[in-house]
Amino acid sequence: MAEVKITDLRKSFGDTQILKGIELKVADGEFVSLVGPSGCGKSTLLRIIAGLEQESAGSISIGTEPVSGIRAADRNLSMVFQSYALYPHLTVAENIAVPLRMRQMTRWQRLPLAGGLMPGAKRREQEIAAAVAQAAETLEIGALLDRKPGELSGGQRQRVALGRALVRAPAAFLLDEPLSNLDAKLRVHTRTEIAELHRELGATFIYVTHDQVEAMTMSDRIAVMMGGEILQCAPPQKVYADPDDLRVAEFIGSPKINVLPAEADAMGRLSVLGRDLPIAVRPGRQTLQIGLRPETLHLARGDAKIVGRVVHLEHLGSELFAQVAVEGLQGRLVLRAAPAQAAALQIGSEAGLDFDPASALVFDAAGMRVREILTAPAKSLAQAV
Amino acid sequence: MTRFNELLKHAVLLFGALIVIVPFYQMVSYSLKSPAEIERGIGGFAGSQALMTDEQCVGRNTPDRSDVETARTRFPGQDDSHVLGQLLEEVRAECQVRPAVFNYTSAFSEAPLLCYLLNGVIVTLSIFVIQVVVALPAAYALSKLRFWGREAVFGMVLFCLLIPVHAIALPIYVGLAKLGLINTYAALVVPWTISVFGIFLMRQFFMTVPDDLVDAARMDGMGELAIVWRVMLPTAVPALMAFAIFSVVAHWNDYFWPRMVVTGDRSLFTPPLGLREFKADIDGSLYGPMMATATVIVTPLIAAFLLAQRKFIEGITLSGMK
Ligand SMILES: Nc1ncnc2c1ncn2[C@@H]1O[C@H](COP(=O)(O)OP(=O)(O)OP(=O)(O)O)[C@@H](O)[C@H]1O
Ligand SMILES: [Mg+2]
Repeated sequence: MAEVKITDLRKSFGDTQILKGIELKVADGEFVSLVGPSGCGKSTLLRIIAGLEQESAGSISIGTEPVSGIRAADRNLSMVFQSYALYPHLTVAENIAVPLRMRQMTRWQRLPLAGGLMPGAKRREQEIAAAVAQAAETLEIGALLDRKPGELSGGQRQRVALGRALVRAPAAFLLDEPLSNLDAKLRVHTRTEIAELHRELGATFIYVTHDQVEAMTMSDRIAVMMGGEILQCAPPQKVYADPDDLRVAEFIGSPKINVLPAEADAMGRLSVLGRDLPIAVRPGRQTLQIGLRPETLHLARGDAKIVGRVVHLEHLGSELFAQVAVEGLQGRLVLRAAPAQAAALQIGSEAGLDFDPASALVFDAAGMRVREILTAPAKSLAQAV
Repeated sequence: MTRFNELLKHAVLLFGALIVIVPFYQMVSYSLKSPAEIERGIGGFAGSQALMTDEQCVGRNTPDRSDVETARTRFPGQDDSHVLGQLLEEVRAECQVRPAVFNYTSAFSEAPLLCYLLNGVIVTLSIFVIQVVVALPAAYALSKLRFWGREAVFGMVLFCLLIPVHAIALPIYVGLAKLGLINTYAALVVPWTISVFGIFLMRQFFMTVPDDLVDAARMDGMGELAIVWRVMLPTAVPALMAFAIFSVVAHWNDYFWPRMVVTGDRSLFTPPLGLREFKADIDGSLYGPMMATATVIVTPLIAAFLLAQRKFIEGITLSGMK
């Protein structure tokens, strides 16, 4: 077990920059998810950490050792691949045993027939068999040990791939979208299992996914990657409730956060769709954007801040999402309501929406979070200035 | 209409199969028949298998003076020419054989066919094994490693595919002669050890092996050579079998090259050179034994491929990787 520290890591393929200065420190025993849209460089980053790809600049250290120039085989990491990558000609037990055989047995002990006669080979074989049985038991694949990967289902293969990684105690585990080939139900199940496994082993995990639910449910911290940069790395609740960047706010959370254009006047007072809000930013005229999570919007009891027309409803049983088209807005607003409010939300009917101004996330025109917010009744603000 | 089409298809296929099979049929048939039957083209497939006299056997056992002396007691009161005649009759009677037996025994006795077969096995197996030892790492490097000039090297491999062996036979011969290797196993094996076709074939196959599998092996602690032998080789068995057919058939049946580099030393003859032993000479052509030799030569190949066929079709699917 060890910490993994990445400093100003850059990677280009030809002229295209894929990673643009990644900074990340994963503490010993921590579970960090790398999440981001397809093609943002998550796998590339993981492969560079693993030593399968050469970085263009920057450095990585595992434990206290810098590892640049060290072969993948010598970095003492375990990796689970998106495509599982099991050895098709070996049985499940042999697949799981490979990392141990390669690392704990000498070249001569590994020889097909004569190897068994080498001193110590018998004992090693027994130790390895015991370790394989242990890993198989943890993952509940004991019954499959004699099968070939071709005779397994996707979920079973995924477990075997996990087993092959878990059978050793490496410095860190690297997992590249290990659940992406599973069906939804199995994914939820295995997700829990991996999280529990992490708690049990107390090992360092770096987990790549483009599924934000996976990232939210499993990790100690989430690193949101986009366009080759880490935009924010923080615990799941913080990434959700307190995003640094509009792109993070938009990526995390389902349904997506509502984004409304806002104006600040010379004194910094905000207005949305022509209505003043009782919050202000630094003085100075500028255009801003505010983000409102679906659950912060609610149906107005009296005076509505936003008025629109309900165009689509999604009943999920425990909750209800209503899409509301608002004049002057390009996208639709999504509102989360309790099923009891269904009567008030009819497709085609008018809906008045309200929100607590304090829960609005304010971003500047470039999408950076604006954190200096003054909350006060509009009148007293005016007096203060 | 479709019925007619089906019939036509089968007729064409049957005709094709016939063209391929007829020479084999002829070969096996001749290997069973007596010279007389072969000459007159009678006797169907296996001939009548009527007893025939083995003239060579007679020739070897022709009674001489001493035989006549010792045999005189058995024929009291007869003169020498008479005794000689009687003895000759006996010898002829002893040398009666079935044509099939005659053909196959003379195939093995006239020429050291077993020795030739052994040479064939040694030479083809050595060639194949060394070809694989060379081609697998080369194909792995060309398909899975990134290095400067890789495409150029692969271009050269493709270029070498275009060079006909007969065009460079003479320079190779001269080279081997300078090294004093003519009339050795090395001369039969060495020129074929680098098979660009093998490199090309295996490279194309390795391209279909997912990169993740190679990376997984690296993460598991394997070096590059270990990956070649422990991961790539087992997954490439179907492609290797295909290559084995090309390589083994070509070199087992090769007549041209052994004929060039093995001059005179019969202990190095490969099976096809053995066929020459039966070429027509003064006592006429010995088609029967010759065809028996040919049958013996092709049988190991056919047996090997019938046995390997299952493996060939099964292969190892790459499905386990996804
Ligand atoms: N060997 C390579 N040569 C050139 N470009 C590459 C190479 N490998 C990756 N890329 C590019 O780098 C970018 C990032 O790829 P990467 O595989 O890291 O994405 P990812 O974030 O893992 O996406 P996904 O979620 O789809 O797996 C992509 O645009 C890809 O085209
Ligand atoms: Mg990826």
